[in-house]
Amino acid sequence: MTLETTFTERLKPEPLEPHELKCIELLKGVDYELAQEKLNLILEEGKEIMIQSGVSSMLRSGDIAVGLYTAKGDLVTTACGSYLYAVCGQPQIKYILHKWKNQPTVGIRPGDIFFANDAVFGGVHNADQFVFMPIFYQGSLTAWATAACHQPETGACDPGGMPIKALSRYDEGMKISPMKIGEGYLLKDDILEMMANMVSRTPQMQIFDVRARMIGCDKVRLRIEEFVKEKGIDFLTGVFTKMIKSSAEEVRRRISTWIDGTFRAVVFTDNIGVDAGLVRSFCTLTKKKDQLILDFSGTSPETPGPYNSFKHTTIAHNAIYLYGFPFHDLPLSAGIWEPIDTIVPLGSCLNANPEAAVGNSVLICSLSMCLIHIVMSKILFASKKKTIATSPFGNNGDAFVMSGTNQMGIPFSDLLAYPLNTEGGGARYDRDGVDAWGFPWCPWGKGPDVEEEEEDKPHLHLFQKLLKDSCGHGKFRGGAGITVAWVVQNVAKVVYQSNMRSSRVQVLQSFFGGYPPSVHPAIQIRNSDVMKKMKNGYPNLPTDVYELIKNREISGDYYVGANPLESQTFSEGDILVGCSHGGVGFGDVLERDPEAVMKDLRQEIISEWVAQNVYFVVYDPQTWQIDDENTRKRRESARRQRIEKGKTYTAFMKEWTRQKPSLEILKYYGDWPGES
Amino acid sequence: MRVKVTEYLDIDLKKELWCCSRCGKELYSARDNYKKGCLIQDRDPREIYAPVIEGPINFAPDPSWIRIVEFYCPGCGTMIENEFLPPGHPITYDIELDIEHLKQIHLGKADGNKTNKLD
Repeated sequence: MTLETTFTERLKPEPLEPHELKCIELLKGVDYELAQEKLNLILEEGKEIMIQSGVSSMLRSGDIAVGLYTAKGDLVTTACGSYLYAVCGQPQIKYILHKWKNQPTVGIRPGDIFFANDAVFGGVHNADQFVFMPIFYQGSLTAWATAACHQPETGACDPGGMPIKALSRYDEGMKISPMKIGEGYLLKDDILEMMANMVSRTPQMQIFDVRARMIGCDKVRLRIEEFVKEKGIDFLTGVFTKMIKSSAEEVRRRISTWIDGTFRAVVFTDNIGVDAGLVRSFCTLTKKKDQLILDFSGTSPETPGPYNSFKHTTIAHNAIYLYGFPFHDLPLSAGIWEPIDTIVPLGSCLNANPEAAVGNSVLICSLSMCLIHIVMSKILFASKKKTIATSPFGNNGDAFVMSGTNQMGIPFSDLLAYPLNTEGGGARYDRDGVDAWGFPWCPWGKGPDVEEEEEDKPHLHLFQKLLKDSCGHGKFRGGAGITVAWVVQNVAKVVYQSNMRSSRVQVLQSFFGGYPPSVHPAIQIRNSDVMKKMKNGYPNLPTDVYELIKNREISGDYYVGANPLESQTFSEGDILVGCSHGGVGFGDVLERDPEAVMKDLRQEIISEWVAQNVYFVVYDPQTWQIDDENTRKRRESARRQRIEKGKTYTAFMKEWTRQKPSLEILKYYGDWPGES
Repeated sequence: MRVKVTEYLDIDLKKELWCCSRCGKELYSARDNYKKGCLIQDRDPREIYAPVIEGPINFAPDPSWIRIVEFYCPGCGTMIENEFLPPGHPITYDIELDIEHLKQIHLGKADGNKTNKLD
């Protein structure tokens, strides 16, 4: 296909013009601070209205963004939601400006409404749909409003909007290039019907949520028009310009205070959706004076499945860390990219070719999310910024899809928002990570209650709780993830799919000696007798996944395998187990306070096996009172064993370099062994 | 003068050496990978993540796919860092500092003025 992809590269702000810079001079006293807050509140209002107007659980969970952009398409600020949408709105607006502004059959006029959901033109993946509205003042294009959120159905070869069987873009369902879908502030019904037809598993959901996006945009449009009427166009231009310019200047200043050097990290994953196989991603961060270069050379090639990303999507994932940690207090504008360059080799799974399937771009980008977190935390710690130098959170993307007709007879398709929004937080230099912390892609997202989920969807929750031993261990441990078991009820059948990986290899990497979290199998039980047992008040139903799989009190056909799990039909009474991953630990396990270990034990965050064999704590098995002296001796012994078993670098490398995973494991890896 | 770089590593600026921040052991040239001065152990991940069930997929990382490579201080046995790597995969040169810049910050320029940038 022929594409004009240069727009996807334009994430940095356009050069500021003399008139824009002069408008900054109009801002007096606290004008700027007040106006900045006003704009943020306008966007928050747009976001809340959008949430109240939509229906899909991802939208209602807050996996959205409502953004404000300059007339040239540069990001000024956003209400999040997810930073992905904030970044990816920009190239798509620039595409619309380039392609349609002067095109007589399209044009850009007051009241126009545009739509896009094809990552090739600057989006994330086609489940993430954007609505754009130009904002005019006295006939001149003044700004853009956008509203975006994840739509959990795209009419792809699998239900759920993120097909794991997709082999190319042609398997992924509706992909609409930036196009006009409304005029005169009204959506065109024929185009909505076209979308509903293309997404015919959930036609009403598609229409409702496009309207919700438009409503969010239009509220921003109205408020900005009021603002300009009150303050004048040059005042607004001054505020916009200062928000972008001040972000760029402050990012550059902060970078200049960090230590110069090169930081590297490597991570791996174990599946490409259509097959198991090792995939690697590598990152080199170079910091010199006031500039950062993030180089992902050494990343595995584009995969033949849907776990691929485009370059701008990878950069947008970097934004999750950059906007969330070192620059969290700055205007959320395009200015932050001004001193940051990103290199992602074309043809790698993080910069795939346009024909590639990218429906799970967000999942392959969990690799880059972990990498940027580690290299940035290392430079920040070395630069005396250790309060924000954290271990990575559990960004595995624990996505489970459910699709079918619900108990009210309404067709639906949705991501199950609880595991997504409950990955464990990363540990810090002085504290543990937060249990069931959140959704790394959307830190504002919320995990729904069990009752809320069961009202909407035809399944009940056998259990939903923190998962023992799911955290990364360390001097300070990562936050725990969760475990959940869904039982189909009130309908004859539904479809489930698991997009998560990490059954053999954890996506996350260690940090300062802290371990990454554990891995999880895919577990399901068919033809179970759980409903009958519940009805009869059976006393020994499992309360977590370990009891379920070890004790097997529920009769049925058990399946244990590797994630992901392609879409499969489940009947009433069948069970699917889900989970989320914990965060990475910080520091040496032998330095963890034994009292903290016992507290974790009492709260069922860890098992006795971990307390004894990972943390080497000695305690009375009856009373759980710590034996301080023997704990000290066991830990001393563990340290001595490390010294006895550890080899010098030369001796270690002599044996280590003779090893290599099997060719079957390495079939998607690329050239072995790659950079270090 | 020793400067803290990670939870367990300092750099002695005068000697240009990586040192253990717990016991003070001098490890390796600060202009090279500190891991070359560590004791290293290749561990089966099942030693940290106990398999819960029988079979290859069992809640523990698969040792034929991934190993834990642990780096210890030879003086006190503190685990300075670890990496999860496929067997035989190169060790990562994770921290390569500009030593001249570090000196400039902490020891000052030739004229005696510290840039004091990190404060």
